Amino acid sequence: MAINLTRRNFLKTASIAAAGIPLSKVVARAETGIAKAPLIPPGSFKDTKTVTGGICEMCFWRCQLVGKVRGDRLVKLEGNPKSIDNGQNLCARGNSGIKLVYDPDRLKYPMKNIGKRGAPKWQKISWDEALNICADKLQATIDKYGPKGIAVWYHGASAHYPNAYFDYLGVPNKYEPAFYQCRGQTAMAMMQTLGFVPNEDVDMPNSKAMLLVGCHIGENIHLSHVKNFLKGLENGSKVVVVDPRFSAAAAKAHIWVQIKPGTDTAFLLGLMNYMFDKEIYNKTFAKKYCLGLKRLKKHVAEWTVEKTAAECDIPAKQIVEVAELLAKNAPNVSIHPGRHAAWYGNDFQRVRANACLTAILGAMDCPGGIVRIKRMSSGHVHWPEVDHEEDPEEMALAEVVEKYPFRPPGTPPELMRDTMISGKPYPIKSLVVWGTNSIKTMPRQERTEKALANMDFILVTDVTPTDITMWADILLPEASYLERYGHVEKGTQWNQGDKPQQFLSARMPLIDPMFERKDPVWIINELAKRMGHGKDIPVRNQEEYVNHLLKETGLTIAKLRKLDGIYIQPGESPYLKKGEEPKFDTDSGKIELYSEAMEDEDFPPLPTYTKTAEPPKGFARMIYGRSPVHTFNRTANNAWLAREIPENPLWINDESAKKMGLKDGDRVFLENQDGKKSVSSTVVKTTPGIRKDCVFIAHGFGTFNPAMTVGFHKGIDDNSLNTKINREGETGISGMRINFVRVIKDGKVIDIPA
Amino acid sequence: MSATLADIFSFLALLMRYPEESFFDDEFLDTLEDLLKSIDLQPYQQRIAYWRSKVADQLLDAQVEYTRLFINGAPHVIAPPYGSVYLEGEQSLQGKSTETTRDFYRQYGFDIVNKAEPADHISLELEFLSCLYRQEEITAAEKFLHTFFLPWFEPFYQQLMPELRHPLYEVSMQLISFFVQEDQ
Ligand code: SF4
Repeated sequence: MAINLTRRNFLKTASIAAAGIPLSKVVARAETGIAKAPLIPPGSFKDTKTVTGGICEMCFWRCQLVGKVRGDRLVKLEGNPKSIDNGQNLCARGNSGIKLVYDPDRLKYPMKNIGKRGAPKWQKISWDEALNICADKLQATIDKYGPKGIAVWYHGASAHYPNAYFDYLGVPNKYEPAFYQCRGQTAMAMMQTLGFVPNEDVDMPNSKAMLLVGCHIGENIHLSHVKNFLKGLENGSKVVVVDPRFSAAAAKAHIWVQIKPGTDTAFLLGLMNYMFDKEIYNKTFAKKYCLGLKRLKKHVAEWTVEKTAAECDIPAKQIVEVAELLAKNAPNVSIHPGRHAAWYGNDFQRVRANACLTAILGAMDCPGGIVRIKRMSSGHVHWPEVDHEEDPEEMALAEVVEKYPFRPPGTPPELMRDTMISGKPYPIKSLVVWGTNSIKTMPRQERTEKALANMDFILVTDVTPTDITMWADILLPEASYLERYGHVEKGTQWNQGDKPQQFLSARMPLIDPMFERKDPVWIINELAKRMGHGKDIPVRNQEEYVNHLLKETGLTIAKLRKLDGIYIQPGESPYLKKGEEPKFDTDSGKIELYSEAMEDEDFPPLPTYTKTAEPPKGFARMIYGRSPVHTFNRTANNAWLAREIPENPLWINDESAKKMGLKDGDRVFLENQDGKKSVSSTVVKTTPGIRKDCVFIAHGFGTFNPAMTVGFHKGIDDNSLNTKINREGETGISGMRINFVRVIKDGKVIDIPA
Repeated sequence: MSATLADIFSFLALLMRYPEESFFDDEFLDTLEDLLKSIDLQPYQQRIAYWRSKVADQLLDAQVEYTRLFINGAPHVIAPPYGSVYLEGEQSLQGKSTETTRDFYRQYGFDIVNKAEPADHISLELEFLSCLYRQEEITAAEKFLHTFFLPWFEPFYQQLMPELRHPLYEVSMQLISFFVQEDQ
């Protein structure tokens, strides 16, 4: 291109004018960003290569994937063709991992908040400075209050190594939303009843009937789990979905029980009573393996079909129909244990009822039942055992206050938060948040903000500038799941009815992290060195960390790489062999329909229904759930996913909507029973597919950190309206579906008719 | 002429880099003022001089503003300084255009030093222009300006404009504009 004459003249004049200024001197002092390199002719660096060993973490199902990489640029993600779990498929979120990696809003450098907590002003600082501050502040807390002065809120695979370090420091109070706002009761009540935690290992493809109480597979997309569900349908399994709402799963159901919210336990007790009454339960199994059968029979006797129907507001004949269907097909029925269980604050009892129903049908260790899938095992990385002045286990808040004996691992978050505010029974003054947006996970946000304000120091590590990052004093940028090592994934072929195989895969980076993002092993080791624990560091880097996890398997990163990221070996069927007896790791060695341990702790020893409060006049219960292309708030800023589903439409019964003068597409805000209004709005979706006493929105929307430019104020933050909670005594987990809302349109409050 | 232009573009590149102690000091700011004076941009020079007289810790002040404008601002980053964000449909880093930008560098025997930063950061593009001027590759420099730099510099500047209240960055952007625009 010939240089334009005017421009040439201009440049000439300007450079003559500037010629006398010692620019080169100043310029020479800075490091160069561009340097001489071998000349490369155009078109000679265009190869796309496939990098294996990726493990998705757009959600926590952890599908195995490969990346297509051009130069240093990740251009596409695909399922690992070798996977016997998700196969070549990824879901929409899995595919959109690329948009997370290259999101311009992502955290890039360590930051110091020189403004206020909640209203930050950021200064980019060096890692050295950031880590020095963290070390000083955390040490100061330990010196003054002991390790119990630190609280840790964490989530995801990247938090495992940090967590091990905080164990080593003797920090007693840690909280993970995966337990306390999600699966806590599902795990603990199953454990208490059956002696094992089935997670979601339920053999749907080989079932003859399935019962889903409140699970909405298809909206909550966990790839191989969805495949299992669909395969079951394809194989002719009859599906019962119990849900106040016509969910994606309900749309596939043979029987949709449009239950009144909060009455699920009554429904389960009613089913059991009918089965006992008609003697159609699995007698042989129940008599042989269950403890307290007679007492359970007596206990549920009050739940006649009529009473159950009235309580659950469903037709009596549906109860009969469901009970007959399940009993007829037992034991090959999938009584789904569920996942998210923090509903009403009486959920431990509900999951117990679910476990009891499974037990009296004998629906386990057989085709179609709950199965104990046999996976390979791998190791852990621990820091050395050290003596602490105070035993961390004894100092854990739940122990100190002598409550919540059936809690999942960790400290109930609202208990911890109360302590952070009151300083009782002891002060907690530093907070470490690792990979969880706790402002969105914990109900009663104003309490969380109060607790945050009370801290001497807050460290947040994350990938994107989520809402909680606004409260950080020091904010550290982490490498994403596509840019680091970590996490060993173990599993089997997705369908338990197929030839048994086991696989193992370890996460490997597909690309290098950009900017100054670092992996957690590096971050924690650098912090540990500065806190004087350098000599105890168990693994020097993330590769060593993974190789350590792999040690007992005889595999290494190098070996896995040669195997295209996945090791596969023959497996074992999870079904009992002929003559083999099932084992239950409970106190009695039997399935505990009746639990003495619960009785000892003054809880109902048999699954018990308690009513939940009704919506006040003019309000409907707010139930929440999942959006199929989002993982809570984690994906809110993902440009591709936000384009698919940008917000969370408010499902409202069409007849109610008509009376209220609402139509599809209207923009509305919500106000709850305590007068709390949503900050942002959403659209109305009118439908006959929801009861009149409740409305529904998907969880995870309404991001309020403007730094998330895509997700900011899109949709309504359901959790901001959870101002009321009901903390259950068994676990310390708070039920959240006990909040009620009405609608605000054009500034006008509109009651929801009953 | 090329040697001075090379220095000028290196200097512009530094203005668009995160201010660090290693280069951002009185001498650097004196030079900025001198440069502005030399090309008859006295009003801008006065703005810088005024800012320097008012603000004690100029490095910190510049760092905070740079962070706000270009890295991770509160409430949100004003204008990410990467070409792909403006050239490609969905805001994204490390896009196809980042790749072609780096290809262009490499065709002329240059490459980015820190592979962790995208090649189309404004500072790197200015530095690359400086390298071309230093090698008297005037035609290549012009081609790069027209096919790579200017197409995104315009929307970038537009996006930044309403938030340009800090003298240092208002002046820096004016200065860059002065040296890269077609019609003066
Ligand atoms: S289900 Fe989707 S988001 Fe979850 S791990 Fe698999 S591909 Fe990733």
